[in-house]
Amino acid sequence: MPPSPSVHPAQLKMKGLLVFAALLAAAFSRETFVGNQVLRIFVADEASVEKVKELEELQELQLDFWRGPGGQDVPIDVRVPFASLQGVKIFLESSGIRYSILIDDLQALVDEEQTQMIYHHIMSRSLQTFNYASYHTLDEIYNFMDLLVTANPNLVSKIQIGNSYEGRPLYVLKFSTGGTKRPAIWIDTGIHSREWITQASGVWFAKKIVDSYGKDPSLTSILDNLDIFLEIVTNPDGFAFTHTTNRMWRKTRSINSGSACIGVDPNRNWAVGFGGAGASSNPCSETYRGPYANSESEVKAIVDFVKSHGNIKAFISIHSYTQLLMYPYGYTRTRANDYQELDNIAKAAVTALSSLYGTQYRYGSIITTIYQASGGTIDWTYNQGIKYSFTFELRDTGRYGFLLPANQIIPTAEETWLGLMTIMEYTRDHPY
Amino acid sequence: MQRRSAARLGPLLLLFLLPLAWGEGPEPPRAAGELQVSNRLAGQAARVALHYLNYRLGSPSALRALGQVRKATVKTIPEIGHKYYLQFTTEDYKSSQNVGTCLATVFYLKRKPRPAVNINCTYTKDQKQTREDDYSFYKKMRQQTKPITGNDIPDSYGNIEPALEPAWALAVAGSSYLMWEKSTENLGYFMAQVKNVKQWITKDDSIDFDYSVVLHEIPTQEMISCHLRVIWTPGHPLKVKYFCLSENQRSEFGEGSGSESGSTNGIFNEEEANF
Repeated sequence: MPPSPSVHPAQLKMKGLLVFAALLAAAFSRETFVGNQVLRIFVADEASVEKVKELEELQELQLDFWRGPGGQDVPIDVRVPFASLQGVKIFLESSGIRYSILIDDLQALVDEEQTQMIYHHIMSRSLQTFNYASYHTLDEIYNFMDLLVTANPNLVSKIQIGNSYEGRPLYVLKFSTGGTKRPAIWIDTGIHSREWITQASGVWFAKKIVDSYGKDPSLTSILDNLDIFLEIVTNPDGFAFTHTTNRMWRKTRSINSGSACIGVDPNRNWAVGFGGAGASSNPCSETYRGPYANSESEVKAIVDFVKSHGNIKAFISIHSYTQLLMYPYGYTRTRANDYQELDNIAKAAVTALSSLYGTQYRYGSIITTIYQASGGTIDWTYNQGIKYSFTFELRDTGRYGFLLPANQIIPTAEETWLGLMTIMEYTRDHPY
Repeated sequence: MQRRSAARLGPLLLLFLLPLAWGEGPEPPRAAGELQVSNRLAGQAARVALHYLNYRLGSPSALRALGQVRKATVKTIPEIGHKYYLQFTTEDYKSSQNVGTCLATVFYLKRKPRPAVNINCTYTKDQKQTREDDYSFYKKMRQQTKPITGNDIPDSYGNIEPALEPAWALAVAGSSYLMWEKSTENLGYFMAQVKNVKQWITKDDSIDFDYSVVLHEIPTQEMISCHLRVIWTPGHPLKVKYFCLSENQRSEFGEGSGSESGSTNGIFNEEEANF
C-alpha cells in the first residue's frame, strides 16, 4: 500500500514562486486585494472534498485556489474576493466544513511589500501539511530540514558534518538560542537504516522542538541554556537502500575489500572494545565491526564533531525495536562508574515515557538488558566523558518489529519525547 | 534421588562444571538462582515458551505475545543444561490486550537441539469466539476455487491487508514451530515478515499454505529466510515443514506434526514445580 501523499516541498516552492509572481503582476496591473482573505479549508472526508469542488465550479465567485482540492486530509487554500467571502463562509459552515483564516487582509500584506512574509506563508504551509504520521524518503526528510530552517532561522540551522560512503551529505540540525559552544545534547536517529520508526520520530522531534520553544517552559529553559544537535538520518546510504532495494538493510553501504558482502554495522564501529566479543569480523555479518574503528565515514563524522565540539553533555542514540532504554556498557560486564546515577535517570525516563500510553520499557546497561555488543556508540561517547550517554530501542516488542505501522509513528514519538525530556532536563539541572 | 544429592552439591558442581558446559557463545556463566526480571535471558526464555504454545495451540485467532516477565529463576542441571522457571503475562497477538498469565519451564538442553517446554496458562479471551474466528477463516479458505496469494505482509510501511491477516496469523503459528526449534539460550527469534504466501487447494479437509518468511535473529541481527509449508485443520495440531537459509548460507530443515514432547509429556519427569 503506497504511503499517504505528501506534497513535495520542491513543487510547493515552484507553486509558491508562481503565486507570488501572480500577486506581483496583479499588483502592478493595479488589481486590488482589498478585503480579500485567504482561507484554509480542512477536509476530513471525501464528501467534504466534493463540496469544495462544487465551490470551485462557481466561476462567479472568482475564487483563486492557491492549493486546490486534493485528497482528504490535505488542506485547501483559497483566496476569496471580498464580495464572495460571506457566501463562501456560510456555505462551508452549513456543510460542516472546518476552515481557518490564513491571511485575513491580503491587501495589507501586498501593501507592506512583505514579499518574504507571503513567501513564508506558502513555505510554512508545507511544514504544516507535512505528514508526520507517515514514513518518508531521504529526499523528503532533507527537504523537511530545509523547510524547518527557513521557517525558524533564529532557532534552527543545518550543519553538514561529513559525507556518507556513497557521497550523500550528513546533516545535523542545530537548535540554539545563542551563546558560544554552549553545553549540548546530541540525539541521533536512523543509524541502523531499517529502523524506520527512528528517523520518523527524529522528524517529529525536530518539529516538536520548534513548536515548544517559547511555549513549553521546560524545553524553553533547556534551549536557553544548552544547544540540541539532532542527526535525523545518520545512515543515509542504508536508508536510501531500504527504500529502493531491501527494506531490511541495517548497515552502511561501504564496499568491503576482499568480500562480496557490503556494509559495516555502524554501531560496532566505534573505538571502545573494538575487536572484542560482541561484534563480528565477518563482512557478511549484520554486526560486522569493519576493518578498523571509525572506518565508516558516517561514524567518523560524528567522532570528529564530538571531539571538536568538546562540550557535549548528553548523547542519545536511538534504535528500534524491543522497547528498552540503556546506558553503558555493552562491551563489558564491568559497571560504568556512574552506573547508579544512570540507572536512576533511566528509571525516571522510562516512567515518564510510559505515563502517556502505558508502553512498557525495560532498562539497564546494554550488556545485561539486550546483549553483549562491542564497538558501540554510547560506550565510546561515555568514555569520552559524556556522562549522560543513553540508547533507546523504540516500539514494538516484536509483532511488527522493523515494520511498525505508520499509525504508531506519532504515539511512539510523543511518548519517547517524554523520556528524552527527562534526560535533557536532568542534563540541564546537573551540569558537570 | 540423584536430584537431591545434586541439589546438595549444586554450588560446588557449578564451580567445576559451568566452564565446561558453556564453552561457546558470548555469555559468561552465571550462578543459578533468581534472575532479575529485566534480564534479557528471562524474556528470551519466555518467548521460547510462547513459540511452543502458539505452535501447539495451532489457532491463528488465539496467538499470544509476551507481556511482562513477573518472575524468573534459573537452575543448572549438571551435564544436562539450564532450566528456567518463569511466570509472565501474555497479550493477544493482534489487539495487545492482556489475555492471561503463564507458568512455564524452559529447559535448554546440551544434547537435544530444541528447548523442552512445559507451559500452563490462564486465558481470558472468549474461547468460543476464537474457535469461531478460526473456523470462519478455515471455511473461507476451503471455499476458495482460486488459491489466495500475497506478498510482503506486513509491507514496508507496516500495513497488513485485512483479507490477508488470517493467513499472516497462520504464518505466525507455523513460524512459531520453527522458532521454537531453532531457539537456544543465546539465540532468539522474531517473525519479521511474510515475503510470500501461496495457498494450495486440497482435496482433503485441511487448508494448505506455502510461505516464505523472514525471521529476525537476536543477537546476531541476521534476517533468516525460511520456507514454510503449513497444513491446518482447526482443532488439530498444525503440520509444519520448513527449510531455512541464512545470509551466511547455513541451511536447516525440519518437520513438526504436533507430536513433539513438551507440555504434558515432558522428557524429564519433574516432580518439583517450585518457583
